[in-house]
Amino acid sequence: MWEFLIPLFAATVQSGTPIIYATLGEMMTEKGGVLNLGVEGILSVAALAAFWTSMMTGSPWLGFLAGGIAGMGMGLIHAFVCITCLGNQVVSGLALTILGLGLTNFLGVPFVGLPAPGFSPFDFPLLSQIPGIGDIFFKHDMLVYVSFIVPIIFWFFFKHTSLGMHVTATGEMPAAASAAGLKPIALRYFAVVCGGFLIGLGGAYLSLAYTHLWTNGLAGGRGWIAVALVIFAFWRPGRAVVGAYLFGGVMAFQLRLQAMGTNLPSSLLLMLPYVLTILVLILSAARGRRIDAPAALGTNIEPEG
Amino acid sequence: MAMFVRPVRERAIPEGTQPVVSLKGLTKRFGKVVANDGITLDVYPGRIKALLGENGAGKSTLMSMLAGRYRPDEGVIEVDGNPTKFSSSKDAIAAGIGMVYQHFMLVDSMTVAENVLLGQEGSFFINPKEFETRVGALAKEYGLDIDPAARISDLSMGERQLVEILKLLYRKSRILIFDEPTAVLTPEETNRLFEALWRMTEQGKSIIFISHKLEEVIALADEIAILRRGKIEGELDPNAIESKADLASRMVGREVLLEVDRQPADIGEVVLEVKNLTGLGLVSVDLDVKKGEVVAIVGVAGNGQKALVEAVTGLCKPPVDSVFIMGQPWRKFFAESTWNRSMCYIPEDRLGLATLPNHNLVDNLLLTTRKGFSRGWLLDKKRAEKDTIELIKKFDIRPGRIHALAWQLSGGNLQKAVLARELYREPRLIVAEQPTQGLDVSATEEVWNRLLAARDLAGVLIVTGDINEALQLADRIAVIYRGEILGILDTSDPDTVGKIGPLMAGLVD
Repeated sequence: MWEFLIPLFAATVQSGTPIIYATLGEMMTEKGGVLNLGVEGILSVAALAAFWTSMMTGSPWLGFLAGGIAGMGMGLIHAFVCITCLGNQVVSGLALTILGLGLTNFLGVPFVGLPAPGFSPFDFPLLSQIPGIGDIFFKHDMLVYVSFIVPIIFWFFFKHTSLGMHVTATGEMPAAASAAGLKPIALRYFAVVCGGFLIGLGGAYLSLAYTHLWTNGLAGGRGWIAVALVIFAFWRPGRAVVGAYLFGGVMAFQLRLQAMGTNLPSSLLLMLPYVLTILVLILSAARGRRIDAPAALGTNIEPEG
Repeated sequence: MAMFVRPVRERAIPEGTQPVVSLKGLTKRFGKVVANDGITLDVYPGRIKALLGENGAGKSTLMSMLAGRYRPDEGVIEVDGNPTKFSSSKDAIAAGIGMVYQHFMLVDSMTVAENVLLGQEGSFFINPKEFETRVGALAKEYGLDIDPAARISDLSMGERQLVEILKLLYRKSRILIFDEPTAVLTPEETNRLFEALWRMTEQGKSIIFISHKLEEVIALADEIAILRRGKIEGELDPNAIESKADLASRMVGREVLLEVDRQPADIGEVVLEVKNLTGLGLVSVDLDVKKGEVVAIVGVAGNGQKALVEAVTGLCKPPVDSVFIMGQPWRKFFAESTWNRSMCYIPEDRLGLATLPNHNLVDNLLLTTRKGFSRGWLLDKKRAEKDTIELIKKFDIRPGRIHALAWQLSGGNLQKAVLARELYREPRLIVAEQPTQGLDVSATEEVWNRLLAARDLAGVLIVTGDINEALQLADRIAVIYRGEILGILDTSDPDTVGKIGPLMAGLVD
């Protein structure tokens, strides 16, 4: 039993990691009051940017950073359209997804099948010795370990810094933030661009750690799962981690079942994460927790007068 | 519920006290409308100044200038004797002037302490617990009873107002402006607010209290300034007020500005009957309107006019068998009502309830008349356009383009457009709320004449705060006070003019 479960849980952590980054990035964006449905597109663009940088420079860390920066760039486009031009957030986000997927498929053609230096698993000193826990959590690559810390920083940022409080106020009621002398426009830019950075890190994980080669369709629907998870998590980072691992688990389980050669058609198994997405959304709705959403989410700040 | 009893204090301003803020000849225009006209006002430390005036008298404009939201066209604001120019509300806050708006600027999901300290945290890293002690201490200093750890969404309106006050106190505001602060409060909360305001003056704060509620102003204020049609009508000492009726008539004004020639029309059948309507804040209201007459509901705003209009027009449901329209019970009337030869409503909120701001005049015409333009599933837009063009001509609506959007029209033209649409329906009962508020003289005259002409087919019920309007248009005037009709007066009786003021103030002899 354990021989089956421990590798499954370890794989869960691995496939949950990019979802953690993407979910927290989307959560950051939404905390500022902006809905970004371009997560899927940002993930792909960032994955390619990270892969290309790592291949060119030979440094996976530079690649990781490049993924984040590519995410920031995509976030900046979204911010400009929604915050400055007062464009529709849903439309802009969907356009970003289509743009990102198309762009990566097009620019990625020469690299398909090529390897790049990435992050390899290593045993984390001491902690990996813990029986069970060590095997599940501490025999991964560096980016997984980073993903353990990011939610804590995220939580601390919103709970214990004034900037985090300002972003929350902007997402809840921009008029109140403005009346308090804050600059809601700038704060929204900050939230969207920082959120883009976090999503970008998730993209970098896909091409530098999850695989070490370039293939098309790396994002594989994780962006959409992240959008759903933000709702599932009620905009709280701790629950986002739980949700990300839940999905990671289903993805890993599904792969394992296929490898074991069940009679179930593989397309049915591939469907599992998305069936779970719908279930999760129905459950969240049934519990009526939409009220936890930032009150001004999805609405633009109209200029005064 | 007993009203707040004001502690006794010398109301006269001590000799040689310097005003903390002086407004000198402030004028503000919006297009052709003069919202504030040469206003001069002094505010002294430790005192409560009430600004009394009807809706649209210019109170909010005046205070927005003081709070730095608008810049005056003429005149200066002096703080501690120094002329100052505010370019934003931030400047005003820095000068110690803070305003509590009617709509609270609070983040619902945050705590009281977080809201008070938002933007004033003092450091990058913050500690919610420390926030709560800081704000708790401030609340205690001013005797305000509120839990700093509570979430705004769990608070009552009165408590939310205390949070707004705490925000100002934390920012060391010396002059606190309250814009109709009691509108959202229960009587107990109002009393508590007044006690809090009183305590703040004892700590040297100045308070400007904007209201149209006479009792409150008399109970609370050290000085009363009456604002009417953008001008200071007079400043008086609450102790020297002879009667509430006098104050009411000074606030509303009685001089005749405009007259129309109203010929009596043929009185026909009853089109609206309100029978012993109690509930929705109304107390046993009896009223009827016959075809060919105009009945005016007059009263200080907020005395139940809104509930009465909503009950008649179908916006909210009155108790069974209390409202009859064109002879039918309310429920039956609205179940079977047709688009024309029925009831029409001209709301006070022209650009929200009456029209769609971002739609053109054709679409706005279709809002209430679409049944008249439908062919099966389809709308006959061509015919609607043709009729809109005719209406624009007939009512002289400018700009004379059917594709002009509603928000682009001036108040007068928009009201004419609404009137054109509603009269197109050949109504039998017209309910018009503040039909000429904010309009200039010629537009007012036009609207009055149209309403009078409509009597050929319809009975008209108007709700107005303008006594002159009521006297000019109405055959009968019903005075409403705290949800009760205190009297229905015939305008052909010369004594009526003198009786309206006292009734509006709730005085029945």
